[in-house]
Amino acid sequence: MRLTDWALWLFTVAFFIFMILPIAVVVVISFTSAGFAAFPIPGWSLKWFARIFEYEPFIDSLWVSLKLAVVATVASCVLGIPAALYLSRSRSGWATTITTFLLSPLSMPMIVIGFASLFFLSWMGFGISFLALAIVHTVICLPYVIRTVAAVYRAVPPAYEEAAMILGASRFRTFQEVTLPLIRPGIAAGSLFSFLTSFDNLPVSYFFGSAQTNTLPVVMLAYMEHQFDPSIAALSTLQLALAVIALVVADRLYGIEKMTVAT
Amino acid sequence: MTLNRRKFLGTGAAAAGLIGLNGMPLRAQQNTLNVTAYGGVWEQAIRDCFVAPFEAKTGATATVSLGGPAQWLAQVEANPENPPLDVLIMTPDLAVIAAEGDLMDDFTVEKLPNLANIPQEFTDACLGKGTYFDYGVGGITYNKQVVSDAPKSFAAFVDRVASGEFVASVPSIQYGVTPVFFIWALNNALGGTVDNVDPFFEAMAKMKDNLVFWAGPNDFFNHLASGEADLGIYFDGRTWNHVDQGIDWIDFINPEEGGAMTAVAIQKPKNASDLAWDYLNEVLAPENQSKFAEILNYGVTNTEVVYSEKLASRVTPLSEANLPPYADIARVRNEWVDRWNREIGM
Repeated sequence: MRLTDWALWLFTVAFFIFMILPIAVVVVISFTSAGFAAFPIPGWSLKWFARIFEYEPFIDSLWVSLKLAVVATVASCVLGIPAALYLSRSRSGWATTITTFLLSPLSMPMIVIGFASLFFLSWMGFGISFLALAIVHTVICLPYVIRTVAAVYRAVPPAYEEAAMILGASRFRTFQEVTLPLIRPGIAAGSLFSFLTSFDNLPVSYFFGSAQTNTLPVVMLAYMEHQFDPSIAALSTLQLALAVIALVVADRLYGIEKMTVAT
Repeated sequence: MTLNRRKFLGTGAAAAGLIGLNGMPLRAQQNTLNVTAYGGVWEQAIRDCFVAPFEAKTGATATVSLGGPAQWLAQVEANPENPPLDVLIMTPDLAVIAAEGDLMDDFTVEKLPNLANIPQEFTDACLGKGTYFDYGVGGITYNKQVVSDAPKSFAAFVDRVASGEFVASVPSIQYGVTPVFFIWALNNALGGTVDNVDPFFEAMAKMKDNLVFWAGPNDFFNHLASGEADLGIYFDGRTWNHVDQGIDWIDFINPEEGGAMTAVAIQKPKNASDLAWDYLNEVLAPENQSKFAEILNYGVTNTEVVYSEKLASRVTPLSEANLPPYADIARVRNEWVDRWNREIGM
């Protein structure tokens, strides 16, 4: 092994430790027997995991977050896939402008989107509601679907679809039999990003929080500000476990590699 | 598969069903009140001490929205004609801003009989459109295992930190009430005024080599627990909460000059449900406030409240705390933050 290879290997290991260690500390703290977050821990206990289920707002908001992430992801796909397909093939000068506009939430501070949306949607009569929250989350999730689907679709030669139509397939059948299977990795990757973006979002959800619409990150923030116990660490560990399980399931069912290729 | 109008409408209906009934905007309902609370132990205390007696007396129900004052104020500002919240918990500076924006209703003894036992200055501090119901004091919290003879005053704190005797953990400017309970309090103790904060910034320059900054209260505790700091500027109630959690090495001193009173205000938005007056009256009731204080280890404002022996030794009396001029501070707050960013940067 050459010196540069060794250096690269060492750098990779060091970087991996740098990334993993803080997460590992949080996981360890979630099993502490102490009533406060400190490391190293004095003893082991599962009581902070039990606390998650005792504190109703955690469970209520987890349910809201899951429901919201599903709605935002589905809505982003319904709106984003046709837009990505059209804009990828369009030769109009407007296509670039519209694409940039649809991707603009990626480059705007989330807190600005949240604050502006609160006033705009209130003015439109949506007020503080799940519907308003779902609309704003769809806006911030949409770029992920458009970007990944468009990236995959641009790599698909138009000749495939043209051949299907020449052979007599309708536009819808061509989409169903040819386009959809080819862009599926893009849809899967975009959906995964959308779901995680919505599920983890705080700055936008913050402005639409109410007793009925508070999401898990909003409740976690409110809890952390006035409580010192390690239940937030336990909740983070649980979230981490769910994310790992979701990735393993996605890998077994579909293959993570296909999704990473799409991005 | 073909997509016809019926299927399209069916899919739309299914999506609406998924969103659920609570997809509709939050509106004030005749027999339901939307109140606010901070998270964790605060929320439970609000439910037990105020929501429960309110529901028992009126037969109405109250939903509790968790979050923070900036979020709630923005929601009311966005919906002034039909506010989604009926009672707001506010920081004193935001309470002034809300009052100045004419977003809140006036508090009077006719509407709130228990207001008669709240010092008038607390209602005046909210420009008559709200009052304080709970307060903490910012002072010196220290690790008893490291600091045997803690500074008794802000002046001694500055001198001893500047000399390198202690490393102090102080709030960063990211923390919302830093301008009040740290900048104003220390500046006031060192002879400054709202329009002259030179004493504060000179003191910070002297201490700069021996300071660490906390962005949130949990950081402060971690600084002390890890040995990164020996003492710092923190709240009395939060210190006692740590003690109750079994941390016996922590203690609090209200500086001789008097720490800044960091109060919690309550307000009722204009056009909110009139049921809010019944709830607010419960919030100001001495028996409910007494119970609230026992849970949170913070002082309350009703003069009829009698603390337990344990709490009486912990709560900083109103007479030994300084009430910051919140309205004046709000006027110069941006200048202070700007100067902090230029000279301190954390």
